[in-house]
Amino acid sequence: MKVAVIQFPGSNCDQDAVWALQLVGLEAELVWHTATSLEGFQGAILPGGFSYGDYLRAGALAKFSPVMQAVRRLAERGNPVVGICNGFQVLTEAGLLPGALLANHTLHFTCKEVFVRVERTNLPFTAGYHQGQVLKIPIAHGEGRYYADAQTLERLEQNHQVVFRYTPNPARSTPASTPRPAARRPGMVWEDGVGESSFNPNGSLHDIAGIVNEQGNVLGMMPHPERAVEGILGSADGLPLFASLKQALEVMA
Amino acid sequence: MKYHATLLIELKDGILDPQGRAVEGVLKGLQYRAENVRVGRVLEMELQAASESEARATAHDIGKALANPVMEVFIVEAVKPLA
Repeated sequence: MKVAVIQFPGSNCDQDAVWALQLVGLEAELVWHTATSLEGFQGAILPGGFSYGDYLRAGALAKFSPVMQAVRRLAERGNPVVGICNGFQVLTEAGLLPGALLANHTLHFTCKEVFVRVERTNLPFTAGYHQGQVLKIPIAHGEGRYYADAQTLERLEQNHQVVFRYTPNPARSTPASTPRPAARRPGMVWEDGVGESSFNPNGSLHDIAGIVNEQGNVLGMMPHPERAVEGILGSADGLPLFASLKQALEVMA
Repeated sequence: MKYHATLLIELKDGILDPQGRAVEGVLKGLQYRAENVRVGRVLEMELQAASESEARATAHDIGKALANPVMEVFIVEAVKPLA
């Protein structure tokens, strides 16, 4: 059972993804972005980072990498594909997932632990969680504001394609009413109702942190599950995602 | 024949542009009465083509390849023959 971890020039969470896959007993192999085939791989991860330095737009140039044709074929065959952070941006740019990821409404690159609620568990990535489970997983991005037009959002909700949603810290009783900090410098504009202290870290519509395609085999998420796979990292809430993936691949084989 | 083409890529109307908001805040701080500031991109390029219309068509194709239709629009702003 072998999973490809795609390396674009500028990927920087590739080794973490390999580590997470190996922790659950999956074989993982790094695949350079110029590869034209993913023969022999049952799944693929597009890791976080800054492919092509985020030039033009995050993920906009990586979608033209030769390996993306192979990723597309793998996805069309029904094999699981996961895009994490920059990988999510690449998947939306390539049209494998709907919508787009725009600059955080705060204009900050935000690196912190957030809480996400598991909205769907009948997927190869989330079978190991229970419905409504709240996970503590870090984010690290400047362009994570999920955007799609109203019709697309409605379709996503109707098809239950929203997999993870930002949610308040369950340990805090009234997080939604936390006052926003004052703007710290001229030009800093807070969106009405959504500040940095809100649980939605980037202004994503519908608090969306992760979605799947209609078939349910292509997942994109801004939080980094591979950075939450061991207690020493502050959270192991991401580990069941990789364990679920392993189980799903065993069933497929 | 060589042509110089200018391509504008902008966020669609109605999409929040935090960069534009930040710039607007600074402009207001400088006492300018500026509103609805939006930040886009300009791409300039030289194209080899047989005619101006062919260069324009190529610039249009490039705009299609590079702009993300989910949130952006592009305009081929100018195509001029290079002396």
